[in-house]
Amino acid sequence: MLTSMTKTDFQKPKTVEEAVTLLKEAGDDARPISGGATLVALMNARLVQPSRLVSLSAIDELTQCTYQSDGSVRIGAMRRHRQTAFESNLKAAHQVVSGAASQIANPPVRNMGTIGGSISFADPAADYPPSLVAANAEIEIAGPEGRRRIPAEEFFLGWYETALEPGEIVTAVILPPVSESSVGQYEKLCRIAGDFALASVAVTIDFNASNTVTSLRLAVGGCGGGPIRVEAAEQALIGTKLELDAVVDAAELVVAELDPIDDVRGSAEYRLKVVPRLLQRAFNNLVETREPAQ
Amino acid sequence: MDGIDMQGVGSSPHRLEIMEKVTGSAEYIADLSRPNMLHAAITQSTVAHAKILGYDISDAMAVPGVVCVLTGEDFPDGRMGAFIKDEHAIAKDKIRYFGEPVAVVAAETEAIAREAAKRVIVKYEELPAILSPEEGLAEGAAIIHEDLDSYIKVFPAISSGNMASYTELNEGDLEAGFAEADLVVEGTYDTAPQAHLAIEPCGALADIDKQGRVTLWSANQSVFRVQANVCESLMMPMGKLRCLTPRVGGGFGNKMEPHIQPLVVRMTQATKRPVKMILNREEDFECVRARHPFKVRCKTGVKKDGTITAREVEVLLDCGAFGDDSPGVLGYSLLMSLGPYRIPNSKASGKLVYTNKLRFGAFRGFGNPQVAFAGETQLDQIAEKLGMDPLDLRQKNLIQPGDVWFGGGQVASNGLQECVDKARAASDWDNRKSRTAPKGKRRGTGVALSAHISGLLGTGAIIRVFEDGSVALNTGAVDIGQGSDTVLSQMCAEALKIPLEKVSLASPDTDGSPYNWGTTASRVTYTTGRAVVGAAAEVEKQLKEHAAQMLECSEMDLELRPGGIVGVSGSDKEVSFHQISLRAHWAAGGPIVGHHTWVFNQPTIDPKRAVCSGIPFPQVGVFSFGCLIVDTLTDEASGKTEVAEAWSAVDVGKAINPSSVEGQIVGGFVQGMGFALTEEMVWDGPKLANPTLLDYKVPTTLDTPYNIHSIIVEAAEPDGPFGAKGAGEIGLVAVPAAIANAIADAIGGHVHSLPMKPEKVLNKMLEIEDAT
Amino acid sequence: MSQPVTLTVNGKTSDVSCGATTTLLTVLRDTLALTGSKRGCNQGVCGACTVLVDGAPMRSCLTLAANIEGQNITTIEGLPEGGDLKPIQQAIIDSDAVQCGFCTSGMILTAHEFLQRNSNPSIDEIRTALSGNICRCSGYRKIVDAVALAASRGGA
Ligand SMILES: Cc1cc2nc3c(=O)[nH]c(=O)nc-3n(C[C@H](O)[C@H](O)[C@H](O)COP(=O)(O)OP(=O)(O)OC[C@H]3O[C@@H](n4cnc5c(N)ncnc54)[C@H](O)[C@@H]3O)c2cc1C
Ligand code: FES
Ligand code: FES
Repeated sequence: MLTSMTKTDFQKPKTVEEAVTLLKEAGDDARPISGGATLVALMNARLVQPSRLVSLSAIDELTQCTYQSDGSVRIGAMRRHRQTAFESNLKAAHQVVSGAASQIANPPVRNMGTIGGSISFADPAADYPPSLVAANAEIEIAGPEGRRRIPAEEFFLGWYETALEPGEIVTAVILPPVSESSVGQYEKLCRIAGDFALASVAVTIDFNASNTVTSLRLAVGGCGGGPIRVEAAEQALIGTKLELDAVVDAAELVVAELDPIDDVRGSAEYRLKVVPRLLQRAFNNLVETREPAQ
Repeated sequence: MDGIDMQGVGSSPHRLEIMEKVTGSAEYIADLSRPNMLHAAITQSTVAHAKILGYDISDAMAVPGVVCVLTGEDFPDGRMGAFIKDEHAIAKDKIRYFGEPVAVVAAETEAIAREAAKRVIVKYEELPAILSPEEGLAEGAAIIHEDLDSYIKVFPAISSGNMASYTELNEGDLEAGFAEADLVVEGTYDTAPQAHLAIEPCGALADIDKQGRVTLWSANQSVFRVQANVCESLMMPMGKLRCLTPRVGGGFGNKMEPHIQPLVVRMTQATKRPVKMILNREEDFECVRARHPFKVRCKTGVKKDGTITAREVEVLLDCGAFGDDSPGVLGYSLLMSLGPYRIPNSKASGKLVYTNKLRFGAFRGFGNPQVAFAGETQLDQIAEKLGMDPLDLRQKNLIQPGDVWFGGGQVASNGLQECVDKARAASDWDNRKSRTAPKGKRRGTGVALSAHISGLLGTGAIIRVFEDGSVALNTGAVDIGQGSDTVLSQMCAEALKIPLEKVSLASPDTDGSPYNWGTTASRVTYTTGRAVVGAAAEVEKQLKEHAAQMLECSEMDLELRPGGIVGVSGSDKEVSFHQISLRAHWAAGGPIVGHHTWVFNQPTIDPKRAVCSGIPFPQVGVFSFGCLIVDTLTDEASGKTEVAEAWSAVDVGKAINPSSVEGQIVGGFVQGMGFALTEEMVWDGPKLANPTLLDYKVPTTLDTPYNIHSIIVEAAEPDGPFGAKGAGEIGLVAVPAAIANAIADAIGGHVHSLPMKPEKVLNKMLEIEDAT
Repeated sequence: MSQPVTLTVNGKTSDVSCGATTTLLTVLRDTLALTGSKRGCNQGVCGACTVLVDGAPMRSCLTLAANIEGQNITTIEGLPEGGDLKPIQQAIIDSDAVQCGFCTSGMILTAHEFLQRNSNPSIDEIRTALSGNICRCSGYRKIVDAVALAASRGGA
């Protein structure tokens, strides 16, 4: 019988490959630990009791954020929220990700939590998931079979579930190249500063010289099991100049796809009401902040 | 001693214990330990209402390191309760709420105790759970306390079925009052349960000596109430229990009456070893106590010119599973339900109903913020209908110096007018409409007035003069962080004209301290301060008796001089406290010890004026007043509201330590702001759904405006120590109401329900948009 | 399973034996008798347990002792240098920014690190820096003032 008296062993490998082996060895009850901001809280509450903890803290590769020659950015899984919030490599539409990072929890928790840990835990109200979907990010995963990459959209399966197979870990998040004219915005509504999102919206947009939207991605957080991307709404806005009518119509398409529940942060009904309003504000802010530049 | 800062009354010396608090060496309950100490943990019930059929503790006992498991069967049949003695130390025979302690485990480590506590099996026969007062009052409802009739009650309680108490106050002629009115406004208002959330969770540590006498340290607001409650519930002689206090990490009411102290005492008796138990945050949420949810129906009649002619208030309170302080909260809320206004015809009545939830109890404001939310919101609704300025409407009806309170109690000092004038001026109220809001936000300004008492019950002080002429002050009042140790010492220093550093303060101890009912009801500065002043007068008298003999003069000619000196008026002949005390100790008269005790005894109700029933306390206290103005910003997209600025003018009689008073005003404001905007304990069926800080949210720095202006008004209380009266609660009382009025100013309509979270405000905004 | 862990706390290295899931907060309080770090929630929210790990404020309740071998931990007990209070501690005293004191250690450590990074902060920057430390008593005003005071005196 597993009890809190159960012995947990602790490992701190230096390479991804070692980490994967250590996890595989120990089976289903083994867990990687990154910032610990979620996992240790769960252990403190006796909700999980891993047989083995594999710390990812000593793996150099995971702590790097690199700007690649093709313009993509590779954020190592162990990058702390605070680092990502202040990451100078994140420009234009990528700021949807730094914007999300800067709104996670509070300063000491941002010093601890990591992007790998956050997305692996996949809290439906977490800030990275919608921002990574809006940023069209890819998740790099390492497992016993080697490495693979999947789009963020396919990574989040809903309600704390991800595409990670047993023994796999997230090694990096890769943001695709973006054009300088693109913008990104993360809009979060929460009860109190530092709370998880009651609802959030993440958008990235690119425009042509005449301010017409040429590409757009949009995802909503906190309104279902995972980030919700609404392609119909994206399509409806591409080719517009984000006129109010177009935004209102698109917001309706978004609402139709949401699947919120009542929880202590707010009711499902309220989420359905407020998301279109948050979207309008996000678009409005984007349009306004762009205009002076023209 | 001229030119030396004596740090007496009216100055703001730093806290006496400040060095230990900034260096991390202050010891709170969780920091204490004893040799050979056991750690205890509770098993909590997993149903809300049930008969207990039996226990199986064998699994728990089998965990290595477990020393003892106690269940309800191992506890005596004593019952405790501040107003109704309805509560055992632990669930016995019956479970009355989800999360109620049903067993206690002691083990060599906390982890083992917690693990074993999960393995105690309780066999239940479930009963229907009563989860609201309405359900409790319904015909045929399951009865939570079958023996209610036979319980001891310390007041003339009107109770039956699940109704723990009914209270009513009447003055004047209600019908005639409403008949006289040109406008009658009626509304219902409700408030959510709020958690105290002292950052320190509750805990206790007990040890037993070979004679079977127990010493108990705990997070508490009164060592004397702890002693009384433990002894009642465990049927122990009071002399067998000594209660002490470490530093306390915040109170706000939750540590006044007992939490787990009886369990720890029983465990130390059973194991004959020291036993410590510290609740984790979830347990603290689930089984200590919280602020009562209220439903208030309020009806007010006014003339066209704004004169209020009548008010009727009816409240319904969720008591939770045990009476605790609830009958007091009910009675007090009714007493305060007219607000600080002249209302000649009024009726206030209310019911307190047992439910299968954790006990609701005392929380800063004691029922007053809830009725103030109803009454002050309604005044704004009336002002709008009359086309009057909300502050002018209030001004027209203000209780005036010399007026008595609802029920007939005397109000000796009244600085309300000055509070109104100062807040009005400081906030530039009359130009408030010229303030603009940033894009996407709506700005509103709201006002609410308040009154609150300080007082209640017995207290004492002892001052002893050491051989070297400095003094020891012993009151038994627990400083829960609000600063009473410093303030009481300042008063002692002032009364004896000695520097603050010459006063050493004894830590509360039921063996050695004079009685002090507790740190609650904004009472310590006023009631204990009076005892300190009385004891100092006694010391002064004894000092002068000695000095008269030493200086060969009449006592009448002697005066206290700054710095611990007794001198002959108009001459330079003098002796020091040091010289006097040496004589007293070694030669003549005996050591100098002054003491004073008293009980607050001004009647609350004047039977010639008011007709009342079910009143929980005949003597309440003296009155503090406040006027609060707030500016808020409401987000148009979400309905989320933040406070932008606040001006809180509070009449405290005399600010003994102005900086501490500011701390109370601002701290109370922010706690009230949480109550107004975000804080809410939510139940999912019988179970509390948000017993964690991740789910129950209190304001952080970013949710709190920097500009909360404290405006101290000093209308001296004639019998208060140096004129002082209470400051602990008054700053919170008006907060939800003022914020509600500001939001209404911003969006054009009132939200009648606390907390005014984004959802409720947005719905109101949409409702108003739809209507126009 | 206990394993030996070497921790460097306030400049002093000690070998402690603890389980893999034992938090730094538990080791500090129960093994090293450094009780200045407080447990208010054990979940990372209240901030009462905040300590500096390699100079950065972190939650000791969410930090596994086994995971921070070799890193420098500073607790409130280790803050004064040569017995002298740090400027932020003195400013907290001078601003009367303490009531019950339960949040104080975490506040001081968080503010201390912040002031080292930002010696001339605005009120809003201070509010942001302290937003992960809950104080239920003070309403924050005097704490924010204390940080501003320490900054105006040029210290951390
Ligand atoms: C007080 C508080 C407030 C918070 N508020 C927010 C908020 O507002 N928004 C928000 O988004 N988040 C919030 N969080 C969560 C925070 O962002 C966490 O840091 C994050 O969710 C987990 O990251 P971590 O690195 O600490 O992961 P850990 O706690 O170390 O791990 C979390 C889980 O993921 C697994 N895991 C860790 N790393 C990997 C990996 N590389 N590959 C595979 N699995 C892995 C672990 O086994 C574990 O199951 C909050 C947390 C706290 C304590
Ligand atoms: S105890 Fe660590 S944050 Fe509350
Ligand atoms: S002083 Fe009590 S919590 Fe901050």
